[in-house]
Amino acid sequence: MIKILIVDDEKPICDLIDLNLSAAGYCCQTVQDGLKAAELIEKESFDLILLDIMLPGASGYDIMEYVRPMGIPVIFITAKHEVRDRVKGLKLGADDYLVKPFDVVELLARVEAVLRRYNKSNQVLTAGDVTVDVEARRVTKAGKEVALTNKEFGLLVLFIRNKNVALFRETLYERVWEEEYFGDSRTLDLHVQRLRKKLGWEKKLAAVYKVGYRLEEPK
Amino acid sequence: MKFSLKLLLSTVMVLAAALGFTGYFFVNYVFETSLSREARQALDENSILRFAFETAALNVPTKYDVLQDHTLEQIASNLETSGQRTGRLLRLSGEEKNVLYASEGFEADSALLLQAEENVRSWQVIFLSGRYYVQTVSGLHAMDRMLYLETLRDVSEVFEERELGFVVYRRVTVLMLALGACIMHFIASVLTRPIRQLKKATKRMAAGEYGYRAKRLSADELGQLTRDFNRMAQALEENMKELEAQVQDREDFVAAFAHELKTPLTSIIGYADMLRSRRLDEEKSFLSANYIYTEGKRLEAMSLRLLDIIVTKRQKVEFQTVSVQLLFDYLQEMFTAREDMEFLFSCEEAMVSMEANLIKTVLINLVDNACKASEEHGRVAVTGKREDAGYRFAVQDHGVGIEREEISKITKAFYMVDKSRARSKNGAGLGLALCVEILALHGSRLKIESETGKGSRFSFVLPMAEREAV
Repeated sequence: MIKILIVDDEKPICDLIDLNLSAAGYCCQTVQDGLKAAELIEKESFDLILLDIMLPGASGYDIMEYVRPMGIPVIFITAKHEVRDRVKGLKLGADDYLVKPFDVVELLARVEAVLRRYNKSNQVLTAGDVTVDVEARRVTKAGKEVALTNKEFGLLVLFIRNKNVALFRETLYERVWEEEYFGDSRTLDLHVQRLRKKLGWEKKLAAVYKVGYRLEEPK
Repeated sequence: MKFSLKLLLSTVMVLAAALGFTGYFFVNYVFETSLSREARQALDENSILRFAFETAALNVPTKYDVLQDHTLEQIASNLETSGQRTGRLLRLSGEEKNVLYASEGFEADSALLLQAEENVRSWQVIFLSGRYYVQTVSGLHAMDRMLYLETLRDVSEVFEERELGFVVYRRVTVLMLALGACIMHFIASVLTRPIRQLKKATKRMAAGEYGYRAKRLSADELGQLTRDFNRMAQALEENMKELEAQVQDREDFVAAFAHELKTPLTSIIGYADMLRSRRLDEEKSFLSANYIYTEGKRLEAMSLRLLDIIVTKRQKVEFQTVSVQLLFDYLQEMFTAREDMEFLFSCEEAMVSMEANLIKTVLINLVDNACKASEEHGRVAVTGKREDAGYRFAVQDHGVGIEREEISKITKAFYMVDKSRARSKNGAGLGLALCVEILALHGSRLKIESETGKGSRFSFVLPMAEREAV
């Protein structure tokens, strides 16, 4: 299982990230102090560190310097949004930089992306009898290959990574189409319809009234 | 043209004129004196010759009553040859200015002779075949004849000396000018050094090096100018630094504000998003909702505090005369409800001029801070005491204390010494900033004394009410 260390001086934010990453199947540990974080990093091994910059004890930059030689991927999560802060963080060797306030979906996507880069992520996702090989871009249902368009594939990956989470129309649109959502959701609906049809997920991919869609999977 | 060059050129010009004039005057003066001396000698010679002539004429045998022309010639010739070694030249003329005898080489015209009078000796300088002579003339009586005796005296040497004087003097002048120019160049460059220093300083400052100062090299007007310039630069630099510090403060404030705003927002947005998009179990739902509530409260507290500060900054306060005892009673009542701390209130009664509600806020903030810094059941002492300058309020705790380098920062908005500790006690880092604003309205300042591990003491002085002071 992938172990993620969350370092943020705000307990609510630690818990928030912890809850969401745990639900996505990661094993999380939280710490609110820079020095304690360094101790933990030394003692245990982690696959990814989510790091705030303004920390009591030792700043995120200090911890970054300490972590770099270990080769553990790091994502900065901070309220510092200015370009020079971001550049500083990335120059220090961080793999990504997320500015507060952030969307949980975006956090998950970035975590996924960084882990994939380090070949630590689950490259094969499953939901029921559907298997998705993200790297090979191959989708099979009950052993039979299903042909999907780019957008349909993106939607499917997003749904499987966020099982049982109601994904809002704007979130889906912004993440898959990478454009700002202006309320015209017919394109999105159309793609979801075709995805349902191709996978036989008419019931599984449920519409959530006035919200969007949710991939339902019994636990 | 450079100032030093101007100075150099004008000095050299004045020097040249002065040297030229003095040289000409001096050489000419020497020449004039030499010439008049020569003329005097020539006249003396003329007198001697006349005397000799008259004597010789007396010695002529008085065969005749009248001196014959050839006799005169004879005498003149004798006189001439007697002074042969000196190259004596003379000319003898009769009463009608007719030449009776002339030495060989006596080629002067008769202009002087024609003007000559009987009893007057006169002289003039003439130029004859490349040489200068002093020509003299005087009348003489020999027997009954009226005669005129002229002499020539070679004075070329005097003229040559004058020429030589001019030549030497020209050389000396040129040499002196060159030497003077060198010295003046040196002097000018020394004198204009302060100007060059100033020029350099202005250039460096214009290029952005505001800390550069011109070196002060003299105590004269230029030195004073340099000093004044440096003072001006100093004042400007200080002003600029102050402005920069203000801008920096404002930037820091905005950055801190953004950070303090985003942190609770992240939680609120994140948990709300979880609530709306996930089916959470009851425990998690409660946790999320609670976080949204507490973080929302935190935002509220922060915005209210900020508002307080902004309002306080703009406020025009009206001061009242307040009894310290009443104020302490109020505080005591407010804090005795807290059982986790030990409070000690003691004051000297006095009437103090203040805006009571604002000062209450200050004291409550300070006591709150003292509680936050202390262990459970720690002791917090609030005291009031008369002093020479006014009335001093002090809040003392025996808590963690503040590190020396932190003391100057703790009154800045959003600054928290121990963030996680402050946060857990619901602080926004704005309390002391508010206190400082309120005290500034009262013309007072917050005094902070602290030692790590031993505790801190925050105090301020307010003026006594007027009727008390009298």
